[in-house]
Amino acid sequence: MIELQEVSKVFGRERAVDGISLTVANGELCVLVGTSGCGKSTTLRMINRLIEHSAGQILIDGRQIRSFNEQVLRRRIGYAIQNTGLFPHWSVARNIGLVPRLLKWMPARIDVRVTELMELLGLDPAVFAEKMPAQLSGGQAQRVGVARALAADPDILLMDEPFGALDPITRETLQDELLRLQSRLRKTIVFVTHDMDEALKLADRIVVMSQGRIVQQGTPQALLREPANGFVESLLGGADRGLKQAGLTRVAARMQPLGTSRPSRSDPSVGIDDSLRLALSLMLWHHCESLTVVDGTGRPVGTLSLHDLLKAAP
Amino acid sequence: MKRLAESMWQRPSLWEWWVPLAWLAALLGMVLAIPWLEDVFRQIAPNSRSVIYQRNAFLTLVVNHMAIVGVASLVAIIAGVGAAVMVTRSWGRDFLPLVAQLASMGQTFPPVAVLALSVPMLGFGTEPTIVALVLYGLLPIVRNTLVGLQGIDADVLEAARGMGMSGGQVLWQVEFPLALTVIVAGIRTSVTINIATAAIGSTIGAKTLGEPIIAGIVNGNTAYILQGALLIALLALCVDSAFERVSRHL
Repeated sequence: MIELQEVSKVFGRERAVDGISLTVANGELCVLVGTSGCGKSTTLRMINRLIEHSAGQILIDGRQIRSFNEQVLRRRIGYAIQNTGLFPHWSVARNIGLVPRLLKWMPARIDVRVTELMELLGLDPAVFAEKMPAQLSGGQAQRVGVARALAADPDILLMDEPFGALDPITRETLQDELLRLQSRLRKTIVFVTHDMDEALKLADRIVVMSQGRIVQQGTPQALLREPANGFVESLLGGADRGLKQAGLTRVAARMQPLGTSRPSRSDPSVGIDDSLRLALSLMLWHHCESLTVVDGTGRPVGTLSLHDLLKAAP
Repeated sequence: MKRLAESMWQRPSLWEWWVPLAWLAALLGMVLAIPWLEDVFRQIAPNSRSVIYQRNAFLTLVVNHMAIVGVASLVAIIAGVGAAVMVTRSWGRDFLPLVAQLASMGQTFPPVAVLALSVPMLGFGTEPTIVALVLYGLLPIVRNTLVGLQGIDADVLEAARGMGMSGGQVLWQVEFPLALTVIVAGIRTSVTINIATAAIGSTIGAKTLGEPIIAGIVNGNTAYILQGALLIALLALCVDSAFERVSRHL
C-alpha cells in the first residue's frame, strides 16, 4: 500500500506538487492523469525517491520511504518509463536481469527468472535473449522495459507514460497485455499518462491532477458520470463522454438473454465481452437496431437492441 | 554493438594488429639502421663534421621519449577523466564551467611557456617536461570525457537510478562503457599530440627525440634534425595506429 499525506514538492519558487493526499491500495491500478506540467510525473518519482519530497510524508506499507536506503527502496519498486531507458550496450536478457543482479541472486536463478519473464511478455527467449536494444521495435523494447521492471517481482510498479511513444496499434496491444498481466499478478501500480482514453481503459481508479493538486479521483465510471468541474469534463472529451462511457460497459450488462428474446438470423453479431461502443458502431455501420450476442465460441447467447443499449445504467 | 558482440567471439589474432606492428618494425628498423646510413645523411648535410647524432643512442632516446609521454599521459588520463567525472556528478556540477575553462587554458598556453615557467620551480630535465605535457594533454581528455558522459541518453541514466543502481554502479556499468569510444578518442588525440610536443622538452635538457633536432638547429645540421623528426613521426604513427586498432574493439 502506498500512502501520500499532504505531500508537496517545491522547485525553487514553483510548487510542482501542492499538498496532495492519495492512497493506493494493494493490487490497485491507479492512473494519474493530467496535462503536461501538472505534477503527475513528479508525484510518481517522489515515490521511489528519484525526487525527494519537500513536505508531507510518503509511506509504503506503513513505513516512511525516507527510512529506507534509497537503493534498497528502488530495487523493491519496479520502474518503467516512456523511452524504456534500456541499456544500449547490454543484451535483452542482461537488461531484464539487472535488478536481480543488483540483489545478488544466484546466476542460475536469474536465468530462470529472465526466461520466465520473456515468456510472460510474449518475447521468445530463443529469438530475443541475445538481441541488443537497438535491434528491437518500439513495442518489443517497451515489453523488455516492463519485463525489467518486473524482474525482481516487486509488489509495487511505477510506470511513467510507458506506452506514450508507441503507435496506436502497438499501444493498444500493450495496454491489453498490461491488463492481462495485472489480472494475474495483482501488483500495486501507479501509472502516469496524459491520455484520458488510456486512463479510462486501464484504471481501477483515476486521479486527475492539475497545477500540482488533485482535482478529482474515482473509478472511470464515476468520473464519466460526474466530472467535478469543466477541466475534468474537457479532459474526458466533453460531448464525447457518452461514447467513452459506452466504451467502458460490456455488452453482457445490457443484453437480453436467449430465453426472453429470439435472435434474428439477419442481425450482425457482437461478442458478449465487447463494449457497448463497439455494439453501437456495428448498428451504425449495418443500419440495424438489434444485434445477436455471441459467446467466445460464436454460439448465440442473447440479443442487444438499440433500446437496450440506450437504457440508463441499472 | 553487433561488432562488439562478434569481436568477443573472434579469437584475438595478431594479424589484426599488422598496421601498428608494421610501424613499430619500421621504427625499430630505423633506430638500428641510422648508424649505418652515414652515406645517405652525408648527402643531406655535406658540410657537417658528423652526420649521425651520437651523444645518446637512438634507442635510449626512443625509450625515454615514450616513458616521458607515458607518465605524462597516465597522469593526464587520471586527472582529466577524474575531473570530468567529478563535474558531471550532481554534487560537482557547480565546477563544470571552471574545469572546462582550465582545460582549454592548458591548451592555449604554449608548451614552451609552460617549460620556461616550470624551470625555476622544478629545475631542468624530465620533471618540468612532464608537467608541461600533462597540462597540454589534459584538454582533449577532459573535453572528450565530458562530451561522452553528457551524451548519454538521459532516460538510460534515469532508468539506471530508478532501478536502484548506486552512483558507482551507474558510473562503471553504464556511463563508462557508453562513453568509452569518445573518451578513448580523446586519449588518442592527447597522446599523439604529446609525442610531438615532448620533443620541446629537450630545450630544457630532457632526454627525448627532440635532442637531435635541437642539436641540429643549433649547429645547422639538417641530418640531425631529419633523424629526430623521422623517429618522432614513426613513433607517433605507431602509437596512433595502435589506438585505432583498440578503438575498433570498443
